[in-house]
Parts: sequence; structure tokens; C-alpha cells
Amino acid sequence: MSNALVPMKAVNAHAGERGELIQLVSFSLDNEEYGVDVLKVREIIRMPVITRVPNTPHYVQGVINLRGKVIPIISMRTRFGLSVAGHDKQTRIMVMDVSGELMGFVVDAVSEVIRVSSSEIQPSPAVMTSGIDQECISGVINQAERLLVLLNLENMFSPEERQCFSSL
Amino acid sequence: MPIDCEDQELLEGFLQETAELLEKLDDDLVALEKSTDDTELMNRIFRSIHTVKGASSFLGFDLLVRVTHKTEDVLNRLRKGELIVTPEIMDVILEATDLVKTLVADIKGGDIIDREIDETINKLIPLLTMTVANPEESASVAETGEPSAPSAEEAVQPEAAAGTGSGESVTVPQEQQPVPSPPPPAVNRPAPEAPKKAALPKAGEKGGDDLSDNTTVRVDVKRLDDLMNQVGELVLERNRMIQLNQDLQGGISDEVSFGEEFGKLTKRMNFVTSELQMQVLKMRMIPVEKVFKKFPRIVRSLARDLGKEVDLQIFGEETELDRSVVDEIGDPLIHLIRNAMDHGLETPADRIAAGKSGTGTLVLSAVHEGNSIIISIKDDGRGIDTERVGQKAIEKGLITPEQLSLMSPREMFDLIFLPGFSTKDKASDLSGRGVGMDVVKTNIKKLNGLIEIKSEQGQGSEFILRLPLTLAIIQSLLVDVEGEVYSIPLASVLETLRVDQREFHVIGGQEVLKLRDMVLPLIRLEQVFKVQRATEANDFCYVVVIGAADKRVGLVVTRLVGQQEVAIKSLGTYLANVPGIAGSTILGDGRVTLIIDPVGMIDGGEGAAAAR
Repeated sequence: MSNALVPMKAVNAHAGERGELIQLVSFSLDNEEYGVDVLKVREIIRMPVITRVPNTPHYVQGVINLRGKVIPIISMRTRFGLSVAGHDKQTRIMVMDVSGELMGFVVDAVSEVIRVSSSEIQPSPAVMTSGIDQECISGVINQAERLLVLLNLENMFSPEERQCFSSL
Repeated sequence: MPIDCEDQELLEGFLQETAELLEKLDDDLVALEKSTDDTELMNRIFRSIHTVKGASSFLGFDLLVRVTHKTEDVLNRLRKGELIVTPEIMDVILEATDLVKTLVADIKGGDIIDREIDETINKLIPLLTMTVANPEESASVAETGEPSAPSAEEAVQPEAAAGTGSGESVTVPQEQQPVPSPPPPAVNRPAPEAPKKAALPKAGEKGGDDLSDNTTVRVDVKRLDDLMNQVGELVLERNRMIQLNQDLQGGISDEVSFGEEFGKLTKRMNFVTSELQMQVLKMRMIPVEKVFKKFPRIVRSLARDLGKEVDLQIFGEETELDRSVVDEIGDPLIHLIRNAMDHGLETPADRIAAGKSGTGTLVLSAVHEGNSIIISIKDDGRGIDTERVGQKAIEKGLITPEQLSLMSPREMFDLIFLPGFSTKDKASDLSGRGVGMDVVKTNIKKLNGLIEIKSEQGQGSEFILRLPLTLAIIQSLLVDVEGEVYSIPLASVLETLRVDQREFHVIGGQEVLKLRDMVLPLIRLEQVFKVQRATEANDFCYVVVIGAADKRVGLVVTRLVGQQEVAIKSLGTYLANVPGIAGSTILGDGRVTLIIDPVGMIDGGEGAAAAR
């Protein structure tokens, strides 16, 4: 799947605008706002006890027990090379479906679900400041006051990384 | 040609039944060779093949009918005493049953391939005319009907069944018709077979080799009833729990009595759930017979190929173990049996020269011991010649002479598990590639099992496999490593000791512990898992001795937490291959604990030691 965003039919409201409506969950990470397709998000939970898994890539924080299922937890900050910050009351784990596998991602805070028209999505600028891999970014949304970076989690782990995971 | 069968249900019934019959047939045929005058056995074999023939002619599987028909004729002559069971005849009959299996597998696969069956049939045909040298000769030929001109076309017609007199003969009157157009009365045909099928009491098993189907389970009704009872109890306990909660909320009971009642309830719940767990586990259990019953046949053909006389004795085939384990042990056992027959047992001449009886004995046994099953393959052959094994290992460049000189006899036995090891100079179709024992080791390791070899030169050898009963729920030892809790499968734990760290020695950079008469390499879990030191360095620590396959190492941990039964949870595909970690489990408090992979640990330890 090259495009993780599943378009939804525009119903009303934005009837005047062109393009289809998509819903995004927005979250913040190091003072920047990001969005992922709402359909990819299974649930959003507070920080539980995380069990460290030794000898894994540094961005794998460990595993948690999600109602009897053990799922890996990835720190978005370390994955994207941002500064490491402690957990606070706002810290959440977004449990998402990445290529059919449940994974939890630690983010600074989850804010809301927003609707945007697909025509609002612009291709990402050539140079990104925050150091996030280009492959993960499927676009940028520039809405009045806010700038939202769209992430595509399918590309979160490069084939080499997957290889690395399975051959560890 | 795709199968054109009007009644899918009928076809399925046929396949299932045939698979069962054929499986039994193999066993019976080999048994028959040993006890040739067992008429009951003979009749059973005859009935099996006859049933297969009847059903296939009804469904219009021509190839199958042709083969089974000829086989049946030969068996009929055996039954009547017109022929005497000899290994040669048995070879042909077994070949024919193999062909039948292939044909049935084709049908099961949904596509009938036009296979070459004449070769086998042509081998059967002479047996129809061949006679035992006795006066009954002429009479018997007349009796069997038309054995002299069995052209393939005629063979298709089910007419000769009339001569069988077994009361089950097919009365399908039509000529050979590729597409079955069953006459109405014949629709009931398979029905009389149903009780026979049910009479085979083996739960959850059918088919062998390529006929097997592991997607469905057949469970004993009694077990299902037991399960239902347990679930009923569980429901009662749940109601009790709801009641207790309501009473407390509504102020009917105070906290003291609630606590007391809740304590009782916990105990009962504990009891019911563990019973339930046992029941469900039992349903997954199948007798090891499923694997064992293939062996008489294999042993027989191997013995004939090798020109050896072998008496295979099987004990404990009713021992039950988990399906997943049963599926995995077939291959290693075949390799071990081959190994025993090829390398272990001598030829009759050699045996007699060595003062033993000409017939070698191969004992295959299975027995439960605690939470594991022990399978042993024992022969009374020449035993393992450690010198020769060592010599070969050096020749093949697997070890150096220096390494060999340091080895104990035990370690020398283990050399045979090295990939590429073989005592044969030339590979035959049976052995010599140095793969077999490596397969054994790999598969047993995969199952968290242990292999032990006992061997005495001239007296024979014994391979003992120790396997866990199930792979889903395991007993585990919880250990504390500097504040992090890990779980070690108890099946691999041999012993635990509390030792003073000053007793550790260092050999070539590897920490070791002198444990009785052996030197135990040590692995510090906090180093392997890069745990941050949380507590002050303590002189005393615990060593958990684990063993996998044929190796032993000691894991150094801070503290032992306790023993617990845990359900294994996978870590998902992303973390499936973390070194040293086999999986995870969830403890009573909801936290995730990682399960240590003893095999990976041991190999990892070896790797680390070699790297130094």
C-alpha cells in the first residue's frame, strides 16, 4: 500500500471544496504536530508498565500487555532521532495497525481527530528540519494556524530494518 | 482430470475412511509377515482392501479399482492358503498399497492424474497364477475364477468380488464407466462402513504421510463431556462472584465476611481453571502411536535393503503428547531408526560371529516422566566406536586433533550430531551425507528437548530423547536479574545452586564453575541482556543450570523468584528473533515477562566463547 490514507466520501460541510475527506488523528512530538490516518489507529492508551526487551534496536522500548496480547512499543522520539524526553501525564501510546501487526507508539500527546480534504495535502518540502525520515512522511497539511505532518506508518520500517528485526 | 463427483459428502467420507483403512493396513501387513497363520489378521487385511475396492468402484475411480482388485485377488489366495506369505510377495503387496495411497492422495488433491499403474499390476499378476508346490494346485486355480487371463480391461470389472464371499461384495452392475452414475440402491453403500470407522478408537487422527489432515481434531466424547462439566462449574463460580460483589455493594455483607468468602471462591476458581486447562490440553493430546505406527513398515523395508534381520519392539505407543510435538518428532525418529539400523546393528553373520543372535533387536519406547515424555531408541548392535568417530571428525575437518584429545567419551558421542559428520566414506541412498543426525539435533532443539546417548561398544547404543509434553503452556522458573524478571522454561532447568562468586574460575576469558565432576560454562544474564546494575554487587548469586540437546550451561542470576505455570505469548513478527528470547508471558500482576530461550542461550554462549 503506497498510500495509507483511505479516502472517505465527502458528505456535506465541505461540499464546496474539492477532494475527498479524510480523518486524521493528530498528535504532538517535540512541539510539532503530526497526523496519522484514523483507520490505522486501534486505540490510545496511557503509559503502562513496559517490559524492556534486550538486544533490540534502541527505539524499541519494550513490550506491554494489551489485554492479554503482547505488543511491541516503539518510541517515536528515538525512532525519529528527536531528543529523548521523560513521560508525563500527556504521554500516550497509540496502538496502531502496521502491516497487519499491532504496535504501540509512544507520543508526547494526542490532541484530536481532524477532518481534512485530500486536496489540502501538499507534498512534503524537500528538506525537513526535524530529522524524520522522508519515507515516513506522506505529506504536509497547511491549515490556517497549524502545520500538520502526515505520517505513513507502512514506511516506518525500511525493508532493511524489517530484515534486521527478523534476523536479529 | 478433475474429479466429477456428484456427492461431495460421499467423496469426503470415502477419503477419510480409506485413509484410515490404509494406515491400518500397512501395520497389519507387516504384522502378518511375522505371524503368517493369524487368520483374524488375514481376514482384516482382506476386508480393508475389499472395502477400499468396493467404495472406489462405486465412485468410479478406475485406477484405484484396478490396483485394489488385483491386490485383493492375491490376498484372497493367501487367505485360502493357496499362496504362502513370503517377503517377496509382501514386497509386491506393500508396493501395491503404496500405489493405492498415491492414488487416494491424488483424489484427495482434487485432481486425478493418469498414473502408470501397470508396472505394479504386472508384478501382482504372476502371483495369481503362481502356486505353492502342493497337490491342491489345480483345484485352486479353478477356484479363483479367471486368474489366467487378467487383462487390464477385465480387471476393471468388479466381477471377481463375487468369489470373495465376504458378504460385502459390490453389486454395481455397470461396465466400467468413468463417470459414476450410482444406481439408487447403491447410495446407501458407504453406510454399512460407518460402524467400522467408529470402531477405530484413535482420537483425532487420520491419514498418514501425504494423506494426513491436521486441520481437524477428533475428540473423545467423554473428554468433551468432562470439559462441559468444568465449564458449568466455572459458570457457577462466576455467579458466586457476582453475588459476592452485589452483597458487598448492597451492604448485606461486611468486608470481613466478604474477604473470607472471596478467599474460598479464589481457591475454587483456581481449582476449576486448572482442571479446565488440563482438559483442554488433553484434547490437544494424541497418542504417540500416530508416529510410531509408521515404523514397522520402515524398519521392514530397511532391513530388507540392508540384508539385516531386525526385530522391532514398540512399547508405550499409547503415551500421549501434544499434537505440535507429535508433528515434529516424526523426522528425527526416522533418522534415529535409520541410524540404528544402518550403523548400529550388524549383519546376521557379524552378529553370530560376535556371539549374539542373528536377529538384531530395536526397541522403541515412550514413557511419561513428570512434565516430559521420554522416547528411547535402543539397539543391541555394535555401539558407537568413539575412536573411529573422532578419527572421522578430524578427517572431515570438523575438529582438530588437539580438540579431540581433550574430549570426554560423552563429548565424542556428541560429535555425531555435527552437520557434515558421517562415518561413511561414500554416501548411499540411506546414509552418509552427514545430514540425518543434524536434523535430529535441530528438531529436538526446536522442541526444547534434550538428547542423551548411551553406548557401549559391542553391546549397542541407546538414544534418549526428552521432550516437553506441550508447547503452549509451560512450567517456568522465574528469576530476577538485577531487578528485571525473566522466565526460564523449567523443562530445560536441571538444577539451581546458590554459590559464592569467588568460586568462579576463568578459563580463556570464559567464566566457569566447577560443579561436581564437570566444568560448567557460565553466562551472566545481566551482561547478555545488558541490564543496568540495580543492586550492590553481592558475593552470593544463584546459578541456574540449563541443558538443551546435549549441552549444559549455568545462567548467573541475582535471585530466584519462584516456579510458575505460564502461557507462552509470541512477541509478534517484529520481535520474533531477539537473541536469547523465546517469547513472552503475562504474570499474575499483568506485567509482561520474557521467556529465555535455553537453546539460543547455549548456542549464543558457545558463539561468544568461540569469539574470544
